[in-house]
Amino acid sequence: MMMNGGEATEAELFLNCDDMSVLERQRVQLNYHQYHHPGFEPTLPCFFPNSSKMNVGEVDSFLPSAGLDLPEIYGELHGDARISVSPGNITTEFGNSKKRKFGCVDTETKVCNEKKKMMMMMDREVAVEEEEEEKSKVTEQCTRSIMKMKNKAKKEQNSCSNDSSKVTKDSQRTDYIHVRARRGQATDSHSIAERARREKISGRMKFLQDLVPGCEKITGKAGMLDEIINYVQSLQRQVEFLSMKLATVSPRLDFNIDDIFSKEVVSAPMMNLPNTVMPPHMMVNSGYPHDMVNSGYVHFNPMQQVVTSSDPLSCFNNGQSATMWDSEVQNLYTV
Amino acid sequence: MQPTSSMKEEFLQKWQMGLQIYRPLIDNTSVSERMKAIKLSADVAMASLRRGTTCWSRALIQKTATEDNFLVRQMLSGIKAETLINKKLPKVMCHRKIVRRSKKILRRRKSRSAIEEVAAKARKLVNKKTQGLRNVVPGGEFMSNDVLLIQETLDYIVSLQTQVNVMRSIVDAAEAGSER
Repeated sequence: MMMNGGEATEAELFLNCDDMSVLERQRVQLNYHQYHHPGFEPTLPCFFPNSSKMNVGEVDSFLPSAGLDLPEIYGELHGDARISVSPGNITTEFGNSKKRKFGCVDTETKVCNEKKKMMMMMDREVAVEEEEEEKSKVTEQCTRSIMKMKNKAKKEQNSCSNDSSKVTKDSQRTDYIHVRARRGQATDSHSIAERARREKISGRMKFLQDLVPGCEKITGKAGMLDEIINYVQSLQRQVEFLSMKLATVSPRLDFNIDDIFSKEVVSAPMMNLPNTVMPPHMMVNSGYPHDMVNSGYVHFNPMQQVVTSSDPLSCFNNGQSATMWDSEVQNLYTV
Repeated sequence: MQPTSSMKEEFLQKWQMGLQIYRPLIDNTSVSERMKAIKLSADVAMASLRRGTTCWSRALIQKTATEDNFLVRQMLSGIKAETLINKKLPKVMCHRKIVRRSKKILRRRKSRSAIEEVAAKARKLVNKKTQGLRNVVPGGEFMSNDVLLIQETLDYIVSLQTQVNVMRSIVDAAEAGSER
């Protein structure tokens, strides 16, 4: 249940995601983090017991000047302040671009899938206010999952000292997400990255399953994609059909919104009943005089049936929202 | 995530704004002209709900800008219009012939086993489907990785549902109005 909640928030975060350039994203995130987490505390050691002293020292000296380094870092595409992950620190994580992360995984051997998911999520955040609450939920779950990871994690195999020289060189330019491999799974960085990607994709597909009607039983990726394609195409065709119908109904493109809404409000109680799913459909079927539309009409019928069963029939699911909308639109028109 | 009523309201507002632009131009034009006007303004309204945050919305605005630049500029206020219209999206170029040829060569070298073949076929099928999805979703060709593609599809589906709901209710109301 917890994870479901987390996934839902994740979805909303992702729905707000963008593919802004890496620079913009970093800028936004740094602003966000600076605004929300002024007291930045690096707490390395608890998570990386084997990390070399040089590592720790490096980071300690590096982080306080993180603010100063930022302008330099912006000059390079890959610049982010270097942060290692620890439970208390998750909220102050700076974002990376995806490419960057996978590139870093090559030099780091510890991979943690769930944490990566959370971090990817934070990558994608644009500083929107609605996301603040969700972020707190997310960070809670993040810390919980990291605890789980700690309990599950294997001992690291490569020593950090080998990488330390690389690290010190790159630390000013690149950022590292230290992750751990799950128990009983390959530690190859490529396969771990792939697995993270696959999990992400399957997570998104689950959301799509909820959106697209009639997909609960379909289990393969290919089948799901098929359904999604069909659904999107049917929605697009519906839009075309509806616009054509609108064009024929109103020769002057004036829909008389006030009129429409007053009548809508009157007929709204009718539409609320579940067994009135069909009537508008039938209304359209029976009374439509124009020849132009009739020919195209039969063609579209099956599609409409499919969609009427899934969509709530009208936007006015309760009379209240209808009246609210009515007043809203009237305000629009008085301006 | 289902289309919320606030989304529908916003869409309706923007769509009406677009239609206002068309109203003086269309008086006794043909049905197809009107349909085009309705559809274009609805598309731009739907895409502008996302304020340029998603790839599909930008691609859709660019597409309608090629058909009716004036409308797009009017509907989107100011700066955003310029950046959105003039931005060139990076296209993911895949020279299919070359890719196919190189894959064939690779295949000849690889040793086959039954399991591998099945897996390879399944992967091919999935790739075909994702390509089909890219064709359907606006701006799909520009989405380089699958995760992004699916995210965009999610958002696009929700916006399409909003659009369809609003348009259908308007149509039903308009018809009810004309019948009485």
